[in-house]
Amino acid sequence: MGFLDSILGGQKKLKGVAPDRLFAMTTAYVSMEIELGMKSAGSAGIVFQPIATSDFDQILRDAEELLHGTAEEQGSTLTSADDEFGYRWIVLRDPDFDDLVVSLNTLSTELQGGGYGDRLLAAVFAFEDAKSNDSASMPNPSRQRIYFIYNFKRGAFYPFVPKGEKQQRDNERELRLKAQLGDEIPFEEDTSRWFPLWEIPL
Amino acid sequence: MASQKAIFPRDTGLQFRMLLTLFLLGLLYVAFVGALFTAGASAIVMLVVVGGLSLSQLFLSDKLALAAMGAKEVTPEQAPGLHSMIERLCIQADLPKPKIAVADTHVPNAFALGRSPKNATVCATTGIMNTLSPAELEGVMAHELAHVKNRDVMIMTIASFFASIAAMMLQFGFFFGGGGDGDGDDGAPAIIVILLASFVVYIVSFFLMLTLSRYREFSADRGAALVTGRPSALSSALMKISGAMENVPQQDLRQAEGMNAFFIVPTGVKSSIKTLFSTHPPMEKRIERLQRLESSLQAGPA
Repeated sequence: MGFLDSILGGQKKLKGVAPDRLFAMTTAYVSMEIELGMKSAGSAGIVFQPIATSDFDQILRDAEELLHGTAEEQGSTLTSADDEFGYRWIVLRDPDFDDLVVSLNTLSTELQGGGYGDRLLAAVFAFEDAKSNDSASMPNPSRQRIYFIYNFKRGAFYPFVPKGEKQQRDNERELRLKAQLGDEIPFEEDTSRWFPLWEIPL
Repeated sequence: MASQKAIFPRDTGLQFRMLLTLFLLGLLYVAFVGALFTAGASAIVMLVVVGGLSLSQLFLSDKLALAAMGAKEVTPEQAPGLHSMIERLCIQADLPKPKIAVADTHVPNAFALGRSPKNATVCATTGIMNTLSPAELEGVMAHELAHVKNRDVMIMTIASFFASIAAMMLQFGFFFGGGGDGDGDDGAPAIIVILLASFVVYIVSFFLMLTLSRYREFSADRGAALVTGRPSALSSALMKISGAMENVPQQDLRQAEGMNAFFIVPTGVKSSIKTLFSTHPPMEKRIERLQRLESSLQAGPA
């Protein structure tokens, strides 16, 4: 069916956003924190293509207002910014990881409810890696950033570990993360789909 | 047959030459198969030959086309912006990342090659990257990725394969139907009939394939609009590219003069003939359809 669709140039019905899959991050974080010594960077975001229609703006405003309401109670902040590719990021900052997951889910559900689920590119969670050689108690701002990217179209997560300045990534660390967390979250099995997102504003 | 899907080859001279080449290439195939047949080769041998030619075309055409365009594959370090843009489009279109190539020429153009999404290459010229805004370039690259997703290269190769087979089958039918066995006198006229028939079949399938190609352009435009959510960005890219094409003639004046001799047809007829002969639909039609998509987008999802 999918093959015939592609031959005829038809649009395959994309899988909808699977909220339970996004929530898998909540349970996985327990293992990340306890077994791997990783820490939430206190931020997560959602990246999508803004559409120049009036109802899209309205849906976005409603979603942001909804989040602002809950965010104040939880002590989290919400910012949005457009990147150089014309995609929009909504970035949430909250010391509590579970709240981040819930808020991201609210956002994606709102966009999907408005009929704009296809515009969602990815949800991104930011972590700090455990310091391997130095003592872990030392507060070190240069701890390695680890991102987990959730591809809405595929319904799967994959790790992204940028390294250095010149758009390089630590593939070894990424593969190790898959080995360590492969059972905890729905992983993207096809590594050719582990698309990088450079300059993540998290 | 159409091994590359160029988004805007409004370079009439080049287009004419390419068409002529394609046409002659096809004629050559038919003549070759016909010659083989009259020489007494069996239908199975011919099937193998036609199949082999099509297969080699399917597997080699992308490398040949890249070499012909002077395009070079670029790494993420060499073209970080282009790579990032295409990566995001691949996420949106649910495609594996194709190879990315850049051709160093002022002609604003882009095309996609490769038989399947896993073996695809998309190529942009430096001209198109300098001419278009990021959103417009994104629209164009999404159009090329839609060709990849729609497997257009494979479709056109298969279409030409069946055209060759059809011509061959027709010969086969005439040979056994009209030729008779052992009647030596019928031999020469039968061959003429065979060649004439295969020629007619070939010409008809040639135009059918061009028509098919134009339909697939519309389909790729639509796919691009769906992936980017910005049909108007592609429209403005198309307008910009065609404008740039008209402003920057690629032909030597003397060469263009010679070419004009072919267009001694009244303007009204000329434009419809042009449409009949082109692999791409007229720009106005493409923009009109993109605008319809934009309107339905503005009306909101149903």
